[in-house]
Amino acid sequence: MLTRRPWSARLLVIAALLALWEIAARWFVDPLFLSPPSQVIASLDEVFSTRGVPAALQLTLFELTVAFVLAVAIGLVLGLAIGLQPLVRRSFFPIVLLLYGMPQVTILPLFILFFGIGAASKIAFGVTHGVFPVIVTVVAGVQNLKPILLTSARSMGASRWQIFRHVIFPHMVPSFFAGMRLGMSGVLLGVLLAELYVSIAGIGYFTTLFTQNFDPTKLLGLIGVLAAMAIVLNAIVRRAEARFARWRTE
Amino acid sequence: MATAEAAIKVRGVFHQFGEEGDRRFVRALTDTSLDVVRGELLCLIGPSGCGKSTLLNIIGGLMEPSSGTVEVQGQQVCGPLPRDIAFVFQENSLFPWNTVIENVELGMTFQGVAKSERAARAAYALEAVGLKEFAQHYPAQLSGGMRQRAALARALSLETPILLMDEPFGALDEQTRMILGEDLSVLLARSRKTIVFVTHSLGEAVFLADRVAVFSARPGSIKQVIVVDEPHPRKPEFVTSAKFTSLRNELYGLLHDEIRKAVQQ
Amino acid sequence: MVGKTAERRNREVLVSHLIQAGFLVGLIVIWYLAATRWGVNRLLLPNPVAVYDNLFDILRSGEFIDDLETTLGELAIAFAISVAGGVMLGYLISRSPYWIAVFEPLLAAIYSIPIILFLPLFVLFFGLGPASKIALGASISFFPIVINTIAGFGHVDRLFVTAARSMGASDYHLFRHVLLPAASPMILTGLRMGFTTALLSIIGSETLASLAGLGHRIVHLAEAMEMARMFAYIVFVIAIAVALNAIVSALEARGKRN
Repeated sequence: MLTRRPWSARLLVIAALLALWEIAARWFVDPLFLSPPSQVIASLDEVFSTRGVPAALQLTLFELTVAFVLAVAIGLVLGLAIGLQPLVRRSFFPIVLLLYGMPQVTILPLFILFFGIGAASKIAFGVTHGVFPVIVTVVAGVQNLKPILLTSARSMGASRWQIFRHVIFPHMVPSFFAGMRLGMSGVLLGVLLAELYVSIAGIGYFTTLFTQNFDPTKLLGLIGVLAAMAIVLNAIVRRAEARFARWRTE
Repeated sequence: MATAEAAIKVRGVFHQFGEEGDRRFVRALTDTSLDVVRGELLCLIGPSGCGKSTLLNIIGGLMEPSSGTVEVQGQQVCGPLPRDIAFVFQENSLFPWNTVIENVELGMTFQGVAKSERAARAAYALEAVGLKEFAQHYPAQLSGGMRQRAALARALSLETPILLMDEPFGALDEQTRMILGEDLSVLLARSRKTIVFVTHSLGEAVFLADRVAVFSARPGSIKQVIVVDEPHPRKPEFVTSAKFTSLRNELYGLLHDEIRKAVQQ
Repeated sequence: MVGKTAERRNREVLVSHLIQAGFLVGLIVIWYLAATRWGVNRLLLPNPVAVYDNLFDILRSGEFIDDLETTLGELAIAFAISVAGGVMLGYLISRSPYWIAVFEPLLAAIYSIPIILFLPLFVLFFGLGPASKIALGASISFFPIVINTIAGFGHVDRLFVTAARSMGASDYHLFRHVLLPAASPMILTGLRMGFTTALLSIIGSETLASLAGLGHRIVHLAEAMEMARMFAYIVFVIAIAVALNAIVSALEARGKRN
């Protein structure tokens, strides 16, 4: 039976939703506002051949990659700096948490004013979104080390560097990868927000263009490509996490 | 035992946690003195909270006593002595991200053993505790008994003259304890190490030890030392002998009141 | 080592508070110096005193009220929609482990995409008015609510259900006295997450494409290069967001206590 396994039922649900969309767009909704999926997919090549779209997509991918690498690197360094020293942690971790909970989108216009409409502002905004989950998870990973493991290492004569390299760091790696996963979501949000905001260049230009021209086909196509990009990037990070955090059986 | 050489000399050790007036102030040890003879297995036994684990940590240099001194092999203890002392803890102290053999080799890395020697010593130690086939396993894949064997292998590979064991079998079930106790006795008969072994179990103490130091309730001090005069390795039949029973009863008599006192604290 | 004595720990807490205060004061001092002495362009960094004055003026004149009303109104409606939809759908899905297995990964997967991408579509559909913000806010905050509701109801111990049924409980009794109390901690968490997400999404969408509301106000001031006033509004919006989140977190904690 087709619906016996959950994954096949899931496919059916997706197919049903797509069918609903198709029917609604074809017969019930004004074509100015919604296009059926069949049309969107058929017109994808038109989207790609629109002048400037491939370049904008490439630039966005570039911004996402750079922002992610920076967010992870900075997050790791700051996370270790904060997590390893109790006084530093007590002082600065609350500040980190405060900033993490802040609605950063309010300063988006400021970022654009400071860094311009080019890639720099998008990368910077992505980094500020992605760096905090990394810091928080790295600090947690360093914190929840069982004291007995430190005692044991000390009793065997481990130096401070050896304790960091052989005990604290490997212990923290699974949390670090979980943080990377959250960091990727943050980077995606930050970069895409910034891109959508700048309506005179990049992806934001085209979304604004297609919206103002009442062209839901191309708009949906573009959004679809970006969504696919997001899914793939998330999947890559999740795969890496599954591979490197193998020893955590809990 | 004044003629035999003392590997460990504990003199007038007092220890407290916190300051007087603190909510969590505790006097753990009071005026504790002890000699551990080279090559003997000395058990420390006593009611909960009597400070036996604290004393072990002090002897091993993991804690500084509030007052008093400890001498190990002639030198004063003021920090861990990885060349002289190896620990086996009750809690799972293996690093979960390393395999068993990686754990054993890491201990030697910390101690400063040359890289070329580590693999051979690790293999030998794992063979000695019966874990040769599990060298590539992760701790999470092993039972509690096997994990403690691995911890013991790690301690043995460090080739220290002294071994400090803090209730190493405390988290295991009775049957595993029995097997591990017998295996330990065989192992140690071969190696002639000096061992201080903390335990709650009367039977385990009599079975393994050359001498048993009985602690009083908190603040702990040594109430009495009992001698178990039986050659190593101890045979399983020893457990059912009359000597064993009488020694065990003697321990019970010494401990019972202290345990009651501890419960009331 | 033995672990800190209470005295050492208290001293550490005190020093850490001093460091925090020093850090914040230092930041403000640097800001002041950068804006006034060090010649940073006033078009980029306004004088903190001017920001303070503007903030005071905004609050006193009540200029913020229209925008605040717009934003909070959008928030309220969006949240109401996502709560109603999310809890209801979450409960229905949770009634069968099979449906949970089918829908839960699907919902989690959709939530992992930044749904803000769909804002242009909503603007196409609803225009630049509040409707598009409400639609986006509801769409995004729907997911943590439905996912947590499914988890809450889905993880109720079967034992409770069996016990209640054996005592003759009707469907309604079961829901009200067993399922709902057991599931409410997770549902409350989902509601809190949904609220914070809705707030962020609404301010975000106002920033990207709107004619009114707090997010739009900030953009408007940025385009007019009125830096001091813009900074003042940023402070204002952050304060409102922090206050709202604190209230919601407190409500969540209170709800969980019972």
